[in-house]
Order: sequence, then C-alpha cells, then structure tokens
Amino acid sequence: MAKRYTLDELLIITAAREIKDGENIILGVGLPTTAGAMAKALHAPNATLMMESGILDIQPLVPPNHIADAHSCRGFSYATDLFSMFTMTYRGYVDVCFLGVAQIDRFGNINTTVIGDYFAPKMRLPGSGGAADFLSYAKKTILTMRGGEFVNKLDYFTSPGYLDGGDSRDASGLFPKGSGPVMLLTTKGVFRFDEKTKELYLAKVHPGVSVDSIRKDVPWDLKVADDLSETDRPTDEEIDFVRRFAPTEAVGRKLMYELGLTNAFNKALARGK
Amino acid sequence: MSQSQNKVMTAQEAIRRFVHDNDHLVIGNYTVGTCAELVFEVIRQQKKGLTLYSQSGVFDVEVLVAGGCVDRLVTTYVYRAGGKEGGSAVERAMRAGTLQMEDYTNFQYNARMVAGMHGFSFMQVLEGAMVTDLFKKRSFMGEDKYKVISCPYTGKQILTVPAANPDVCIVHVQRADRFGNAQYWGALGSVASASLASKRIIVSCEEIVEHDIIQSSPHLTVIPGYRVDAVVEIPFGAHPTEVLGYYNLDRVMYALFFMADMTGDGLNAWMDEWIYGCRDRHAYLDHYMAKHGAELLDAIRVKSYYSAPANYGAAFTSCWDNEGKERTMGVTLAEMEKIMEERGLLNG
Repeated sequence: MAKRYTLDELLIITAAREIKDGENIILGVGLPTTAGAMAKALHAPNATLMMESGILDIQPLVPPNHIADAHSCRGFSYATDLFSMFTMTYRGYVDVCFLGVAQIDRFGNINTTVIGDYFAPKMRLPGSGGAADFLSYAKKTILTMRGGEFVNKLDYFTSPGYLDGGDSRDASGLFPKGSGPVMLLTTKGVFRFDEKTKELYLAKVHPGVSVDSIRKDVPWDLKVADDLSETDRPTDEEIDFVRRFAPTEAVGRKLMYELGLTNAFNKALARGK
Repeated sequence: MSQSQNKVMTAQEAIRRFVHDNDHLVIGNYTVGTCAELVFEVIRQQKKGLTLYSQSGVFDVEVLVAGGCVDRLVTTYVYRAGGKEGGSAVERAMRAGTLQMEDYTNFQYNARMVAGMHGFSFMQVLEGAMVTDLFKKRSFMGEDKYKVISCPYTGKQILTVPAANPDVCIVHVQRADRFGNAQYWGALGSVASASLASKRIIVSCEEIVEHDIIQSSPHLTVIPGYRVDAVVEIPFGAHPTEVLGYYNLDRVMYALFFMADMTGDGLNAWMDEWIYGCRDRHAYLDHYMAKHGAELLDAIRVKSYYSAPANYGAAFTSCWDNEGKERTMGVTLAEMEKIMEERGLLNG
C-alpha cells in the first residue's frame, strides 16, 4: 500500500516536481529548500541550488534557518556576494525562483509588504527582500501562499506578476519575454496562469478539498480547468526523502512547535534549570 | 588610519568614540552572524536619532528600534514575530509615528552601498521595479529614493538609486588582526560593500589573530585594516545568531526572543534582562549559562571543517641563493660590490 502523507509533504513534493534537471534555482527558506533538496536528490541531480546571500551550488544536509545559512551544508562550490546574485538573475542565468505570498491578485501580482496603509500599517509584513527583482527577472517563479489572501486590489504592489494580464508584462519592455509566475501553490490546490489572458485558474485540488471552498476564498469569478483533477499523489520515495531531510517540515509548523517546546522543557528539567 | 596602529579596544570604547547621535549607522551583516554585542552597546549607550541601514533585519533592528535609538530606517526586509497574531517593534513604532521607514529591494539597497563603496554618486538597478509601489510610494527619501534616466548608449530608460555613505558601520566577522584586517567567509551577502561604503568602521570578531594568519589567507579579508577604526574581540559576539566555523544559531534563545517580541512589554522585559541587565558580553554569557546551563552553548559549537589551503608559496623569497650568489648575475654581494668599484659606479 502506498504511503500516506501530510499536507505539508504534498506541498513540498508538488513544488519539487516543478524543478527540472540542469536548472539554476534560487531557494528560499522552508518549503523551497526542501523542494530543491528533494529535486536534486531524486530527479534533478544536475540542478544548481543557490541562495541570494551568495552561496551557490549547495547540497543542504539539514533545512537552513534562513537564506544565508551556510551551516546547513558542508561547504559549497561558489561564494559570491548579494549584488552578483541579482545581476546574474538580471542577465538570465536563473531559471526558477520561489516566492511566498501574502496577497495576490488575479494576474499574479504580489504584496509582501503591508496590510492596510503603507505609512500607517495595519500589519507590517517583511517587505520585498529579493522578491520584486526575482519575480522580474527569473525565467519562472513558483508562488506559495499559506495564510495569505486573494484580493481584487493589492494593499501594496511589491512584485510584478502579469501586471494587467494579457501581454501587458511582455509589452512593458521591462521584463524578459515569457518570464513570470508559472504556478501558485496553496494549502487547498494548485493554480496556473492562462496562456493568453494570464489570469489565475484552478488546475488541481488537494485531496478532500472542494472547488466551492476555494471559490469562497477568491473575490472574482475563479476559472477552473476543464481537466481539473486531484493534485498528483507523492511517491513513497519522495515522502521518505522529505521525512528524512526535513522532519520538522514534514510534520508542519504547529506540531513542530508543540513537540519542540515539550522537548526543550524536558531537557531543561533534566538539567535542573 | 595607519596600518601600524593597534586598534583593539572594548565595545564600550568603540561605540562611545565612533557612533554619534544622529549618525547614519549601517549594520554590515546580512541575516547571518549579526553584530549583536555592538548593537547591544549602541542601545546601552542610548544613542539617539539614528538613521539605520539594514539589508535584512533580524532581531538586531527590532532591539535598536525598541531601544529608541532609531528615527529612520532604510531596509528591504523586517522581521515579524509570530505571524498574523504577532507583531514587531518596527510595526509598533510605525503605528506610534516614532519611526519612518524607506523600503527598497535587496538589490537596490545593496546597489546604494556598492555605489557608495566605489565613490560613484548613483547605481543602475533593475528596471522591473518601476511598475511597483516600491517606486511609487516614497517616505523620507522623497524624490531622491529613485530617479529614472536615459542610458547614454542605448537610450533605454534606466532606474537608478543614489549612493549611500553611512557615517559608521558596525559589523561582526570571524577573525581580524589588531590592525583591523577583517576576515569573513560563508554567505558574503553585502558585508564588504556595507562596510566599505561607510566613513567609519567598527569591527567585532570572534577572535583576534596574528597578522601572519591574515597574510596567508588574503582572499578571506573583506575589509582592509587601513579602513578600520576599531577592532573588538567578542567571542559569541553574534549570539543568538550564528557564525560559520564557530557556532550555530541558538534556536532556543531565538525562539524565546521572538515570543517576547510579539508584544512591546515582552520585548522591553527581554531587553531589560539581556541588554540593560548585562553590562557586556561576558555578563551576557554568564547570565545565559546561569539560566540555561553551559550545555546549550556546547550543543551549538561547530565541528571543524577546514577550507583546503590555497598555496601562496613562491620559488624563493630572497634574491640570494643558498651559496650567497645573486640569482640572476651569479655573484656574491662582496663580488658585486667589488665590480661596482672597479667600474667606477660608486660615488661619495
């Protein structure tokens, strides 16, 4: 019988399958790193994994704490600076990057800066970091959204997706032709962008999720693929890899904190602290 | 600053002498191994009115803002503790109207430092950002946040940012010599440009090493001694963040910080305990070990994994061979002097 899997495992593995052998990948922390490590281990051995802090061709051994975590691997092949990481992206050497999303509109434009007014924020989010430049110049971008929202109008436009849809991104002359987001992965399903209109549509639903529950999250009339199906099942090999490489990712944040706090507490008790 | 000068001093002295109220202060580290103890000392000395530059804020920006040191923040990324339900010192200060913030992308921020480092007045950045609110919404930088020019060669519209030359940089590295030659390795980020763009540089390091160590590994030196004003040896100077080759991130301490940071009162209590309550890093480490035990620090010490040595050797280090003969002319020094006399080359 095939192995059963958590939602977190499904998301990681679905993202990992977007990475093709030989591609250059900019990773972020969490899901992207685990996805990258899995791809490299299982189906894309010649992928080059890099982080914007300037560590390149890494083979992470444990999940990194952040994007400058050289402690997560035993050495790496090329040390450069942040400036060169972005000029390398600008010149077209980055195939795939991953980006977390707080707000997304129907054409894949992204907000990661603020909820509410920019100058008097209801909630101040991290900001752009590398996002705006990566989404501009990586050949393709994989978006992930957990706890974010679909909106008609972004509170703040941090990173460019397909602008006003159609050919507006290419027509602007500001971006490499054909670049942009290719997929949005949420806790409920997989979305892609219509080839012509560049509008988000629902391509796959995760097991146990109804299309109606997804429609409720989207403030416009969401289009659904004619061939809508359930998100492809992970293989046992993929699940095994994720569990061994990133056990804390496999169980999900909530369970990690619960078990982690109990463990820290018990250890402190044992030390008499 | 002359190379021969010994610049070793305490964090107290370095911050007192080289960080002034209303300075533009840049944190040289990016995400990893932040200059925690230098940051703490800025807060203890109650520096005011700073314009803070931070490539990516971790807990360092949070405590500087909560400590009332910062009026203006230039950054690309700020931390948020605890997701939606949580908060941050930056968010609380913005809501209270005590902090102004200017957002850039990672590259744009760094491009300002790179321009400053090289003495240029501006730098070209990636034009895609022109369609975003980064370009449209401007805080205290106003018109000077970005300017668009036309490329003199292609005619293309080019997005630019102005150079930044902060008054002072505080930065933590693995090792330095007493002259200030600072060696840093791992995720290079923007450590070199942030440091070299600045007018004054305070380096803290895990260890001060002999000059000879630096000379044998110049590829690791990111800040040359002649640019450095102060060198401070602070073991565990980046704790609870990590330093490659020394220690890992202290996840327990980090988690406790971010739980505290979710509220203003929580963060104040944390700062009372760990910053104001500890006069220096020794006191901080003593307090840490008294509270958590030495085991937690031992658990994050690294196992060594040395870089393969690069061979800086040469065929010889003297013009005179083992027999005392000059390598090109084949004569001894005495013979050479005799010939110079005979040829009438000597005066005086």
